[in-house]
Amino acid sequence: MALYIHHKDPASKDLEKILKKIPPCPGTCIFIDLVESTGIKYKKGIAHWGKLINNTFNFISLLNDFPDNIVKGIGDELMIYIPDDILAKKETFTNHYSIIEELHATLDNIKNFPVKNLFMNCKVSLHYCTDVYNITYLRNYNDYYGKDIDLTARLMSKSGRNRIVFSEVFYLKVKEDLQKLNIPEELTCMNKISDIFTDNFKGIPYPVIYRIIDI
Amino acid sequence: MNIKQESFGNTVILSLNGRLDTLNFALLENELTSLTEKNQKNIILDCQDLDYISSSGLRILLKALKQVNVVQGRFTICNLQPQIIQIFKISGFERLFELYPSLNEAIASFQ
Repeated sequence: MALYIHHKDPASKDLEKILKKIPPCPGTCIFIDLVESTGIKYKKGIAHWGKLINNTFNFISLLNDFPDNIVKGIGDELMIYIPDDILAKKETFTNHYSIIEELHATLDNIKNFPVKNLFMNCKVSLHYCTDVYNITYLRNYNDYYGKDIDLTARLMSKSGRNRIVFSEVFYLKVKEDLQKLNIPEELTCMNKISDIFTDNFKGIPYPVIYRIIDI
Repeated sequence: MNIKQESFGNTVILSLNGRLDTLNFALLENELTSLTEKNQKNIILDCQDLDYISSSGLRILLKALKQVNVVQGRFTICNLQPQIIQIFKISGFERLFELYPSLNEAIASFQ
């Protein structure tokens, strides 16, 4: 559970001391957004829109496997944060490779599902975070703050329908997993990986290297 | 996961054992692609000993269904365990595939 911090005195010395002592919480940050959700809501009505959201969220197995790691919903976008120690305890999602492979499979299944108008297309951004802290300013609430969370959110601006955008840092984690598992990259969703892109993002003080998989 | 292959007339039966997930979906993908490339039209997937299937496993089943449909064949699944039937229901896959409660019933459907 997140460390609750709330000092009403803006000049509090205690607050500074506490913040300096908080250990980072490395893990994987994932943003999943439903594409054109608002348009569907207004064109097809609330009932149809609600049904598609229900079907789509049920279909994303990652959400069912990590119900306690869904940090928040922002509009039709979900933020999931999976600390490394929790990932290591799972049966299906045991490493970073499995996260992206399963997300790729989910988006592929949605895109190629033979019955139409059951799901919404998704877009995803992923990053492996080290500059992140499990703290909250609201009592009994779980949250994560840090530059790497901001970076994951910014990466979403490069995503789109049926696309997964992920930082080079995350890709290196996946490569490491595949080497350990002795699985060739070409037998995985990595056979669709793009070349490197580099961009500057607002609030991130260095250029970010990232890659894309289009389904 | 282990895959055992046997033939019954002009039908191939693939029996799965274990978990079908990111670590081994490529095994099944290769088997199914190899069969459809040889123009094998009738395939039964026996899941009696399949304990778990993830999205990457479901993706391979969807791909196989498409490949078999192209050659106007039939891809049927039998002996699904209750926890996998649940996954099929939630994901809508129950509506896409011909499902049979036993291997004998699946074989009989081809005769």
